[in-house]
Amino acid sequence: MAKHPTDAGHVAACAACQAREGLRGLDVDLDRVWFGVAAEVWARPVGPVETALGRLLGSPGLARALLTTPSLLLSWVLASAAVLAVGAWVTRTTGEPWVALLAPAVAGAGIAYAYGPGVDPAFELTQTMAISDRIVLLVRGLAVFGVNAGLGLLASLVAAPARGVTLAWLIPMTAIAAFALAVATLTRSPGTGVSAALGVWMAIILARAAGTRDFASAAEPGPLILLYLVSTLGCIALVLLATGGTRKDAVRWL
Amino acid sequence: MVVAGNVNANAAVSVQARSVIQRFGRTDVLKGVDLALAPGVFGLLGPNGAGKTTLLRTLATILTPSGGTLRLLGLDPTQPDQRRRLRRRLGYLPQSLGYYPNFTVAEFVEYFALLKEMPSADVNRAVARAIERVGLSDRARSKLKTLSGGMLRRVGIAQAVVNEPDLLLLDEPTAGLDPEQRVGFRTLLREIGEHGVVIVSTHLVEDVAAACSTVALMDAGRIVFQGTPDHLTSLGTGHVVGDSPLERGYSRVLAEARA
Repeated sequence: MAKHPTDAGHVAACAACQAREGLRGLDVDLDRVWFGVAAEVWARPVGPVETALGRLLGSPGLARALLTTPSLLLSWVLASAAVLAVGAWVTRTTGEPWVALLAPAVAGAGIAYAYGPGVDPAFELTQTMAISDRIVLLVRGLAVFGVNAGLGLLASLVAAPARGVTLAWLIPMTAIAAFALAVATLTRSPGTGVSAALGVWMAIILARAAGTRDFASAAEPGPLILLYLVSTLGCIALVLLATGGTRKDAVRWL
Repeated sequence: MVVAGNVNANAAVSVQARSVIQRFGRTDVLKGVDLALAPGVFGLLGPNGAGKTTLLRTLATILTPSGGTLRLLGLDPTQPDQRRRLRRRLGYLPQSLGYYPNFTVAEFVEYFALLKEMPSADVNRAVARAIERVGLSDRARSKLKTLSGGMLRRVGIAQAVVNEPDLLLLDEPTAGLDPEQRVGFRTLLREIGEHGVVIVSTHLVEDVAAACSTVALMDAGRIVFQGTPDHLTSLGTGHVVGDSPLERGYSRVLAEARA
């Protein structure tokens, strides 16, 4: 397929063939020259955010997967918006605690679906990549929850109703996602990370509801909000430290 | 057992499967497949539903075998660390290539080069080489949604070969390619087959005849023939079903397997 026709008509119209013809008399590796030129011309400019993320995560591929999947950005927004909208509606109409209790799992499942075989067209290919699709999913999950929590905090400054959603759901979900990623990174097992995070979430709820059986209150972060925030930052720091840059002993993403 | 070349001489570039079973629910899609492959181009023939795609997906580490053992490039794909090392050296083209419509050809190939953990410094040159090898230089900056089916197939081949894989798995790679492109594609297969194991699943027996050093015929989850294309051709002597000698051999083996 790389063969180009040699007739004069083709050469007259083909820049690559003209370059080859022009260099044929010189003692150079034409393929090497051409690939070098093509690599420069076709290279996608890498922005500062992607460069920084690549260094932080110790994986340019993970940074690329996280930042530059424009055709999938809509699914991020839709998954988040759907979970929040349904949750707000159910909570308002029923007053039941189930939404707050299940919000992390529901949101996680939504994101998993957005990047799973149902929506991601290249899902089958991603399953064969060295960077595990599951670790990509965990990083994306944390990114979604983190961005939403940040936006929620900003919205809380101007709209009081946003405060409840942010404190009750978004910050705990971000903390749980960060914990899952940290455990997955250190144990080198995405499955262990997810299991540990769900286990911790359930343990918190059960412990807080043990005396009162009031699951609605147990799901509200209340005094734990500071713990969630500190835990989130700590887990992110741990992940970045463990995977950090080019250190030879850095944990590698599974 | 299919044996192509001297597997033991270079286990680091080989495929070894022993009694591999793939079970979905109560159905065994693969019923004990044995393979031993060394570098070269290996053709996988068979009717629809024979298990070719399932075998390729198993070798591509998408599916974990329900039974049996696999060693790919000397590595155990069930072990996370080894699976990761294996995937860096793997190229895979699925039967139905999913793609991101707004990516350009170069962006798509680069995306998978990065996910294969190629060194960043090598990525751009490797992308250029892969795109050139599939003859899409003039469309490198075109968005995928603007390409024809045959061009998309070639984009899929480019992402599969961008890391110069030691194990290349291609499921119906020539679907949508015109005759000239298929000739070029066979050359590419032979080039990669010089240093790596290439497994091509196809319905087109002429692809096998032209490009493959070894061929297997699958039916109902089993390998019912293994050998060279010449051997398969010779089996067709005197058989009337089929338009070419190789097709007659294919038909005869299949008929006898089902008898």
